[in-house]
Formats: sequence, C-alpha cells, structure tokens
Amino acid sequence: MTKKLLLPLFTVFLLGCTDQTSSFFQNEVEGSVTNFKDDLHGTYASTYKPLKSQNIVIRNATVFDGNGNKFQNFDVHFSDGKIQGVGLRLDVGDAKEIDGTGKYVTPGIIDNHSHMGVYPAPSVRTSSDGNEATNPVTSEVWAEHSVWTQDPQYKLALAGGITTFHVLPGSANLFGGRGVTLKNVSANTVPEMKFPRAPHSLKMACGENPKRVYSSRGPSTRMGNVAGYRNAWIGAENYKEQLERDATHRDIRNETLAGVLDGEILVHNHCYRADEMATMINIGEEFGYKISTFHHGVEAYKIADLLADEGICAALWADWWGFKHEAYDMTIANIAIVDQARGGTGCAIVHSDDESGIQRLNQEAAKALAAGRRAGFEISEGRAMTWITKNPAKSLGILDQTGTLDAGKDADLVIWSGNPFSVYTKADQVYIDGALAFDKATNFMPHTDFDLGIKEWEVR
Amino acid sequence: MFLPFLIFSDSGDMYLIKGGMTFLPDGSFAKKDILVDEGLIILIEDNIGDVGAENIIDANGKFVTPGLIVFSSLGLLELESLPETNDTSSNIYNAGFDPSKAYNPFSQAVRLNRAKGVSSTVHVPQASGYFSGLLTYTKINEGYKQKKQGPLGLVTSFGQSYNDSRAANLLFMEDLFNYVRANKDDNYADMTQFMIGTANDYKFTSRDFKALLKVLNGEIPLVVEVSRATDILNILKFSESQQIDLVLWGAAEAHMVADEIAKADVPVILDPLDNVPRTFDSLNSTYENVIRLDQAGVKMAFYYSQGAGSHNAYLATQSAGNSVAMGLDYITAMKSITSNPADIFGLVGVGSLAPGFDADLVIWDDDPLELMTNVDNLLVDGIDQDLSNRYEELTERYLKEKELPNSYRSRE
Repeated sequence: MTKKLLLPLFTVFLLGCTDQTSSFFQNEVEGSVTNFKDDLHGTYASTYKPLKSQNIVIRNATVFDGNGNKFQNFDVHFSDGKIQGVGLRLDVGDAKEIDGTGKYVTPGIIDNHSHMGVYPAPSVRTSSDGNEATNPVTSEVWAEHSVWTQDPQYKLALAGGITTFHVLPGSANLFGGRGVTLKNVSANTVPEMKFPRAPHSLKMACGENPKRVYSSRGPSTRMGNVAGYRNAWIGAENYKEQLERDATHRDIRNETLAGVLDGEILVHNHCYRADEMATMINIGEEFGYKISTFHHGVEAYKIADLLADEGICAALWADWWGFKHEAYDMTIANIAIVDQARGGTGCAIVHSDDESGIQRLNQEAAKALAAGRRAGFEISEGRAMTWITKNPAKSLGILDQTGTLDAGKDADLVIWSGNPFSVYTKADQVYIDGALAFDKATNFMPHTDFDLGIKEWEVR
Repeated sequence: MFLPFLIFSDSGDMYLIKGGMTFLPDGSFAKKDILVDEGLIILIEDNIGDVGAENIIDANGKFVTPGLIVFSSLGLLELESLPETNDTSSNIYNAGFDPSKAYNPFSQAVRLNRAKGVSSTVHVPQASGYFSGLLTYTKINEGYKQKKQGPLGLVTSFGQSYNDSRAANLLFMEDLFNYVRANKDDNYADMTQFMIGTANDYKFTSRDFKALLKVLNGEIPLVVEVSRATDILNILKFSESQQIDLVLWGAAEAHMVADEIAKADVPVILDPLDNVPRTFDSLNSTYENVIRLDQAGVKMAFYYSQGAGSHNAYLATQSAGNSVAMGLDYITAMKSITSNPADIFGLVGVGSLAPGFDADLVIWDDDPLELMTNVDNLLVDGIDQDLSNRYEELTERYLKEKELPNSYRSRE
C-alpha cells in the first residue's frame, strides 16, 4: 500500500502573480518590433475559431453586468458572437427568446490563475508539466508549450461558468516562464484555444518556493531571490542594448524579460507576504516595469493602500491558509479590504490555482463578500461580481474583449439557476462568443479524447 | 411549564435558547426553546417558560443545529510545510498510532474552526507504513480539558501503489490478519516473525498488533481509503471473509457499486465535491457519487478536502450545501456533518439535538449550509465558547488605527 492520502492538505505549492492596468497593452498590438509582438500575429498566434454563434435574447433575468451593477428584470441580447445590448424590454427582431425569469446572467467567469493543461488530471509524473524546475530563471519557457489539450478538467470548470482562464507555469522559479490566456473551448491544438490578442504574461515567484527548490545551489534566502530578479533584469537591459547593435540576435530567455521592460508582457507575481510585495514593487521601479497582479497575496490586506496607489491587482483566495509559513496571516476579509482600499479603487480578484476551486469561483467570491461585510464594509453583490469577471479581465489585458456585458464585447456569459452567491445555484448554460458551450439540462458539454471510454455521468 | 424533574445547577451554566429554528433528530427544522444545564440538553420544547436560567440567548430568526463534527488534523498541525509543527504522522508506530494525544487546543486552526461552528473533530492519523493509525474523537472547546472518545477505527488505504501490485497488497493484508488471529492470545506478540521473508520493512510493534486485534475482535471498524470500484468490491469481500466491520473513505467510484456497499451495510465518508479524476483509480469521479449512494441507502458522512483542507474543515458546510445543489435532500446533507459521523462510529451523546445529549450546538444567523451565513454562538458541553480568532484580530488591526505602526495597534 502507498503512503496514506487521507485528508490531503495542500501538498503542491503552486504559484502565480500578475497585474497590469487596463490600457497599457491595448494600444500597442500593432507595429511592434519585438519577437513577442510577432507572436500575436505569427507562428504561435491564436487560431481560435468560435463555434457557430446564436442570436438570442434572455428575457426578464437578474443581470450582473460585470461593471458593478445588478439589474432586475433585464434582457440580454447577443448575436454574431457579440453582446448587442443589456436593458429593459429590448427590441431585438427575430432573436430566439430564452425566459430568464428567476435566473441570473453574468459575464463569463474568468480565472486568472489556473494550471489546467500543465498539471492535468489524472495527476501523474508523465504529464506534470508546470514547473521547469531546473534553473531559477526560466523566462524562456512558455506554459502554452506544456498545455495538454485533452485535459478532462476543462469541462468541469466550464460547468462552473468559466469561459476564460489563464494558465501559468508553477512557482518553483524566480522567473517561471510565460503564461497563456485560453478560451475554455475544446480543441486539438493549443493555438485553437488561445484567447485572440491576449497579451503574454510572465510568471514570477517570491518567497518560500524558489528558495526551497534551489536551496542547495541558490537562491536559498529571500535576499538571494531578490538578487536573482535584479541580475536577470540587468541581463535583459544588456540584451536590449545588444539588440540595438544587432537586430537579428536571438535569446529567448531575455526576449521575455525585454517584453516586460517594453510594456508588452504582463507581470504576474506569486507573492504571499506584504513586505515582499513591497520589495517587488521597488524592483519594478528600479528597472522601469509595472506589475500587473500579485497572486496568492495572503497578506495583501496589509498593503491594500499601496496596491491601490500603484494600480496593482491582487488575485487571492477567499480562505486558503496554513499550508506554509507565508500563508499564516490569513483573513477572509483580504479580498474585501483590497477591493475597498483608497475609496474603493482597489483591484481585487478571486483566483483558484486549483482544479476544484475553479469550478466554484462564484462561491469563493460569496465567502469573501460575507467576510467583507462582517468587517464593516458595505459591498454590493454587483461589486463582488467584478472580482471574478471585470477585474481578472483587466489583470490579463483582455478587458476590451470580455469581462463585462458591455455591447460589442465577446458574448461570453453564464445563465445561472439562481443567485450565483448562493451555494444552491448552478450554471444552467454557458455561452462563449455567443455559442452554447454548456447546457446542464441536456448534459451538453465538450468531452476530451481522454473522456472517451469512461461512462458519461450526469451533470449535477 | 412545570418541570419537577429538573435539578437546576447553580454553576451558572444554565442556558435557555429561545425560539430558534432547531434541527431536530427527525430531520425537521422547528421553532423551539432549548434548555441546557450542566453541559447537557435538558429539554427541547415549543415554549419553555422562566426556569431561572442565568443565560438566555434569543435565537428568534436564527437557526440552531448540532455542533459540526469534522474529520481533520485540527490542533495536530499548525503549518503543513513545517514538519516540526506537524504531529499527524509517525515512523515508530503505525496501526497503534493515535495522534490525538498531541492535540493543542490553542492552535489557531482550532480557534478559527470553533468560530465557524465546529464543536468536535475526528482526528485523522497519517502514519507512514501499512496503516495510518487510529481515529479518535475530540471536542474542540476552549481551555485545556477536552472530552475524547475512541479509538474509533483503524485507518489504512488500498489501491494504486508505486511499490507492488494491488493484488499482492490484498494477499498481504489477508496473511497479516490471519497471523494476528493465530497469535491473538500472545500478550507480547508483534509482527517480527510474520515480516521475515517479506520484501518491505514495515514495522509492527506490540502496540500495533493490539490495534489490529481490536479490528479482528469487532471493537472498531477498519477504515479504508479507496477509490476504484473494483477495489471497493475487493475490500468488501475481504471484510466479509475476515468478519470485520468496515468503513469506506474517499470512495470516488463508490457510486458504481453502491448497491453492493448498501447490501454490506457499510458507511462511506467522503467529500461530495471530489469530482476531479485525480488518479487512474478515480477516473469515474463525479458529483453523482453522493446521489447514487444515497439512493442505494448508504449512510454517509462528509468532510471537506478542497483548498486548504483540514485547516478549513468547517467548510464541510460548503460540501454539504453543494451536495444539496447536486440533488441530495437537505436533511441527509445536514446529518452527514452532524449525526451521521456519530452514528457511523457509535459516538455517545453527540451529533444530535435531543434531551440527554451533550449541549454541543451552533446558533447561525441564517441557513447553516449557505456561504454567507455567520455563527453567532457555539456551545460545547453547555459552555458558550469564545469565538475570537486570529483572522478577525488581523482584520481589526489593519482596519483600525491605521495611522499607527502595525506593532503598536491594539491586539483585539
């Protein structure tokens, strides 16, 4: 018999971190000079093709628009893959009508910290592809080159309303490599899942994980970690100078770092402790880059004002703690405190980092909301909905395309059986780019090749 | 109301809880008054008049349930990645290992779980070796003194292994139990003789031997963590041939053999949220599990194993709430985190709200299985517990007195 597996605690200390503020990527897609920008249109570009979209109006539903609002008895109309409008008694021509009475509609849920595909199920050594733990600096690796398109976990997340997720490398390294933002669609190749025009990201990691993994060769301390980041950035600056002399020079490790310095790649920084997050902000100042989002941030509430001032998002769990020392100072009010900092200008995100938690981000948001109210904040359900829609979209640089129900955006949305902040609520239907991707009533959902030969159990 | 049989204590521990929607043993919620004295529930009636209770709690508009019974490492483990703070495992003992002796009532995890409605835990051992150790029941009330019951069961696991075929492991277990049976009258027996010639170096001391004997004598069940449907059938057959009591744990594919489990009258302890096919033994993981087990008539208890796991054992309420969303009836879900754990292990006087039972109860401000519900009071053995905890102290510290350096802010 094997080592006992009872009550598995948190045995894999994964990582993540990021944020950007909304606009700095969006106007720079065209005309880039770096290899990174070539990627948006070139060899590794998204080849995603939506399923056939429908022309649908959902009538008389309770609508969370993702901008912080909650509307009663509203209609939502989408066609040609885009949101056409949200309002009272919309005039929509011959759109197919869905009765939304008693139902809730939200934007598609976005998880900006997932390892689906790189740590697929079943969890076996042969497909454990999330951590290139061979060097503290592996900014040259790309998570998308590890993603397994047949991971049976995607559809479980889809049943929880997830339409977009961000796959990150693990946290073993100071620089873990590039992350990739995917649409939650079934495909045989990774480019077919890639979110069109989504910026690349860079995973960085603070604290216990890198210094533990590299304790024998270094870094073995937090100050060693910081020296490692700074040396790498100096290397990237040198690389950029070299590029000016010889534009054909290739160095894929530094291409990623230079992409960050050029403001094109978003930094997602796994970092638990408040003091370390502040240090990481200083490093960004030294080298002239901006951190998009801190991930995990169990102590983010201690520097909530600083995060708001810097425009840095914090992607957090509602209540995880205690699996290691840097996750000891937990408060369930963490997300709410970050959200409410500086007059409610904070950017709080509920993330999962977990193939089970990703199925219930709405429930995690509910627990965080309750703790925030208990701490004395007046926070609306509409505001809490931004933690799993608008804010992760902003963090990933795709808010111009998804994350809210604004007209013109991708028709990524969920119809819920009731209030998504209730434990008894389920996603009834999920649409991605206006195409039905999941339907609970008919058991309609994608099945990967891996699922074949395994009996199809009823969706619950 | 005339209550001639009551002997009122003067210890100040008499509580009258008024008008809460109370979860009764028959599974109904009804508006009741509850009288508590000397640690026990004395009376549950529609309207209990003035009985001179010093402590009256107005529970109108609130819900009252038994204290949650969870399965956890609460008080045995502070930070999982620091082995020096982890007392859940042993290399010296295995079958006879009872980690509950290491219990620290002042663990921050204990305080948090109390604030969330947990009155007691079944401590889950994780010794390395063939057996994980013994389950023990412990109240998690404040202070040094905790009531315990146990041992409740002997824990092991069966299924996929890096070391050997599961077929060999099954043979090994048969040989082991037969050896214990053959030597049951030897007070100093251990496994030395048995282990000679086997390839592994598992240690079995005399203490471990005696723990196995408890299983063979029918004093405690064998609790087997198992996933694959065919493994469950093999374990059912094994326990029948050995004539021992069995409890299944985890049991991801139990739904495929639910009728066989029901026929053997074997209970299952599981997390309804486990639907990820994490191993090749659990490819049929599904939310169907609890539904089909319930339909087959299998008794279940729930634990929460997602996220931070044991430190958030109180989130068994979230697992139970989700099981209702999957289609399980509310009563079964609520019992699976209160009375069913008690029934499965024969715990005395806990898990239900009824006269004569320990006064372990929670007063919730709303539906106990909902995500946004708060605990207003927790009584353990009739004492209203301190619900303060480190997470709320941290919250306070960083929301108030922000102009002061952290360390000079008040502690509460």
